[in-house]
Amino acid sequence: MQQVAKPDKGAIFRNKVKTWFSQPQNIILLLFGIVLTFSTVAPIVAIVKDTFAIHPGTIDQHLTKRATGYTIVNYTDLFTSKLAKTNLWNPLLNTVILSVLTCFISILFGGLFAFLVTRTDMKFKKYLSSIFIFPYIMPQWTLAVVWQHMFYSNKITGTSDGLLAAIFHVYFPHWWCQGVFPSAMVLGLHYAPFAYILIGGIFKNMDANLEEAATILDTPKWKIMFKVTLPMIKPAILSTILLVFGSAMGSYPVPHYLNLTTLSTKYISMNSKYTGEASILAIIMMIFGVLILGMNQLSLKSRKNYTTVTGKSGQLTKLSLGKAGKWIVGIIFIVITFFTSIWPILLFALETFLPNPGDYSFLYSGNLAHLTSKWWVTNENITENGMYGQPGILYNKTIWHAFFGTLFLAVVCALIAGTIGTLIGYAVAKKRRNKWANYVNNVAFLPYLMPSIAVGAAFFILFSNEHINLFNTYTLLIIAGVVKYIPFASRSSLNSMLQISNELEEAAVIMNTSWIKRMTRIIIPIQKSSIISGYLLPFMTCLRELSLFLLLCTQGFILSTTLDYFDEMGLYAFSSAINLILIVTILVFNTLVNKLTGASLDSGIGGK
Amino acid sequence: MKKKVLATILTFAMVVTSLAGCGSSGNGGSTSAPATDTQQTATAQTQTTDNTAAAETPAAEPAAELTGIDAIIAEAEGMTMEELANKAIEESNGKTFYGVGNSSRGKSALPLFIEYLQTIDPNYSMEFEWQQPKNNKIFEQLTSDSLKSEGTFAMTLIQDGNQIQSKMVDTAILKTFIPKEWAEANGTTADAYTGFLPLQTLNKVFMYNNTGSATYNNCWDFVYDGAHPLFMGVDSEIVGKNFLMMLTEDKYATWLKEAYDALDDTKKAYFEPTIQAMQADAGDLGLGANGAYALAWIKLWVNNYNEQTDDGPICNTLVDASATDQAGLLVYSKLRSVEESASVSVNNINVAAYQDGYTGIGGYGYCHYLFLTKNSPLPWTACAFIAYMTCTEKGFEAWGKDMGGYSANPNVAAEIEATFQHSQGGGDEFPAKNDRGYDWWTTEGELVLEDPVYCSEVSFTVGSWIDVLDHYSPGE
Repeated sequence: MQQVAKPDKGAIFRNKVKTWFSQPQNIILLLFGIVLTFSTVAPIVAIVKDTFAIHPGTIDQHLTKRATGYTIVNYTDLFTSKLAKTNLWNPLLNTVILSVLTCFISILFGGLFAFLVTRTDMKFKKYLSSIFIFPYIMPQWTLAVVWQHMFYSNKITGTSDGLLAAIFHVYFPHWWCQGVFPSAMVLGLHYAPFAYILIGGIFKNMDANLEEAATILDTPKWKIMFKVTLPMIKPAILSTILLVFGSAMGSYPVPHYLNLTTLSTKYISMNSKYTGEASILAIIMMIFGVLILGMNQLSLKSRKNYTTVTGKSGQLTKLSLGKAGKWIVGIIFIVITFFTSIWPILLFALETFLPNPGDYSFLYSGNLAHLTSKWWVTNENITENGMYGQPGILYNKTIWHAFFGTLFLAVVCALIAGTIGTLIGYAVAKKRRNKWANYVNNVAFLPYLMPSIAVGAAFFILFSNEHINLFNTYTLLIIAGVVKYIPFASRSSLNSMLQISNELEEAAVIMNTSWIKRMTRIIIPIQKSSIISGYLLPFMTCLRELSLFLLLCTQGFILSTTLDYFDEMGLYAFSSAINLILIVTILVFNTLVNKLTGASLDSGIGGK
Repeated sequence: MKKKVLATILTFAMVVTSLAGCGSSGNGGSTSAPATDTQQTATAQTQTTDNTAAAETPAAEPAAELTGIDAIIAEAEGMTMEELANKAIEESNGKTFYGVGNSSRGKSALPLFIEYLQTIDPNYSMEFEWQQPKNNKIFEQLTSDSLKSEGTFAMTLIQDGNQIQSKMVDTAILKTFIPKEWAEANGTTADAYTGFLPLQTLNKVFMYNNTGSATYNNCWDFVYDGAHPLFMGVDSEIVGKNFLMMLTEDKYATWLKEAYDALDDTKKAYFEPTIQAMQADAGDLGLGANGAYALAWIKLWVNNYNEQTDDGPICNTLVDASATDQAGLLVYSKLRSVEESASVSVNNINVAAYQDGYTGIGGYGYCHYLFLTKNSPLPWTACAFIAYMTCTEKGFEAWGKDMGGYSANPNVAAEIEATFQHSQGGGDEFPAKNDRGYDWWTTEGELVLEDPVYCSEVSFTVGSWIDVLDHYSPGE
């Protein structure tokens, strides 16, 4: 009798392993799953540990009467002391209100603009599309400083008069000048380009078949909008909310300048005497991040039906605004974007020629002799004439050293984060129902949802110990930047990859095309603009990031901390000049990328 | 398959790159941090050391029983500047010196120090990096550095006596070195002196915009009905909170009581209920007889000051003609940088304490202290540099060239005044800029001086009491 050969279990296992590893997405997910778990979890563990540690010279030492060891007194004191309302509940409430309002403003403004640019025949699209992203290029608090210069007045805010009060004697109410409203407006305007890029990308690539079908069935336009169009861009709206909510929550400088107490500002102010309690605030901000991640998880599960790029057709029908309407709407947005994008730059430029910070006396006196070029050309260290011991901008080594350091940091972060994020986005899209893929996606995304100030604090604590002290090194900034910005690329990549039907790559697989070739010839070209965005967004964000790096380096090390320092000191000429340098740098890079690759931050939407 | 292997290698390489990082310590940024508000002015008078009377382990132990950094300090305290310089040359030639401080001007002083060492040994060279951390990070940076067997930072120039005492000195992270010449100039010895070593005292003074009709003839006017002086805020700059805590000390509470007594009946009637309401708290906090006056002033101040991000914007505001009747408490030396224009002028403000008939505290003073770190990699060089800054005019010049800060070495202060003439810096044109000097400010000017020990002691009694006070918000 012939004996049936027993299957070789080892060979089966080896084959399974071989098959598993033959899929690049598996390798990507395995590798990054492990690395990102460490880079995300380790800082969290470090900061949780810090909430229990006793810090000499702080409240926990006072309450425990011990200089070392661990205690839960930071928790009991923060939640139950007389200061609980001041230190915890009020800032928490303000933070949530600020984050929600910021999301609302950015999505409304950015989404509406994206719709007008991509789905209507509005005029001046190319110009508007370029100009609209300027507030995102500029560091967020610089808009807050512009807000101060415009609306503050001696009568209301108890300071010197801003431009509108000085020239037109218009006095804006306090709620307009300081607090949650201006903070949300500034952050909303700052993040609106974010919504524009994410939502606009989907609008632009959206297949019009479904809308056309609805039109053929005589469905009213409003119904098409709410039942067809909006559900199709739901992932992008959700992505915007996810990204903006966490960013707004972790924003330190805007509420700081506009006099709003949030968890971020409280973290900084409590850090000296209530160090452990401040770490709890960071944990609370992180918990919000985890909660948002949960929401994201739910939304991802329901995204299987959002394939919009099928390779079949892609003709967009554009909504007509009418003969006059397309001009009127365009002009309205030209006016709006003038004040959100051009006006701040004009003010920055003007500021560098004023004799004293915020001194617009040449406007009242009409005497141009009151303007000066000293902020640019002074070539010595003097303290008289308002230079505060600083050489002029052109000769200021601090500024230029910080500039090149920042450039290096931004390029490295963008390259690493962009590449990792793109690969993760691809792999997750390929294995979208796989639990490990979901885990990798989440663990890569989590740092972005955690407020920058909390992530910065966590990395500072993690890398400041007896074994390693990376404070004030590019290494630390790069690690923090990459971990924080991978979601830009992974999100952008995932959104676009989810739109690509598997059929396209499957056809190539049948033709025995290699993975590299599939990526470079099919996947990347189709979603080039989204993938380039995945590199440009980390680059731009990194250039003017403050909250994340605030605790990780000294002032003067990178441009944002230098800029913040000058702003805090009231040396607006220097901070304005840095702003101009940043804007020019980003525009140059955007143009360069555009020329080299044909893509840009806003290309594929309305840029061209 | 090769491509997949390649993909694996590439992704792994990227991850390793991301974690290993592309650069280590970026030095230039930190060596070129911008100037701060740490200006100084010379004074011809001898400065006493009671303002720095912080408790520290007395340096009276015999050097023979000391080890490590303590032994070096004990030996260095008996050496002259030149002897220290020779030790520094021997120790640090060709090496890199790392310093950290609240004032960026350490970076300006270091090249001068190197030049000085080169006058002794022309072949001497030393690289340096001077860091100026933001916010309160200097304490955390020094704490984490202290965990290593050999630290990165050789020394520090640091402010906020309260935190220095509780976080740095009580924990033995920082070590005081008293230069021989500095001790002699102050009529003491290293063994007898028990405080921290101050490089300089800086003063923040009350000023007000004079383009309107408001008058501030008494320090209580700054907390009178409707006044909202501009101030950095006690949370953003801890030395501001130290000032408030210092007011509860008997000497300064008495000054407040005396100023209160000089008020007219209307104003007394306004303040009286608050003072009475503070009596119980003053008792609970263990304050002296006039403690209630201090608490009342503090309460009204915290309830009413208009918080700003820095003294720079406060100065920018006050010197503007539109800031009618506004007042503020800010670093005096900010006035040095105001440029005259159609709406901005130094003459738009008055320094309250300079006005005839003004009564009460004129502001407060705090110090920049110098320390070695307990694990200093270049202790002799740090000692020599500290001696250079505190005992020579050239060493102090980075701070001394500007008004509003006062060397703690009377000899240096006199030399600086002789060179820079800060007492006549504004002339007849800008009298507000004629700095009256340390002695005037600490006597007639009634400058409240920071005492690290007192601040540290009351940090969680009076300090916590201050924490629960309501803060003013414009528009309320």
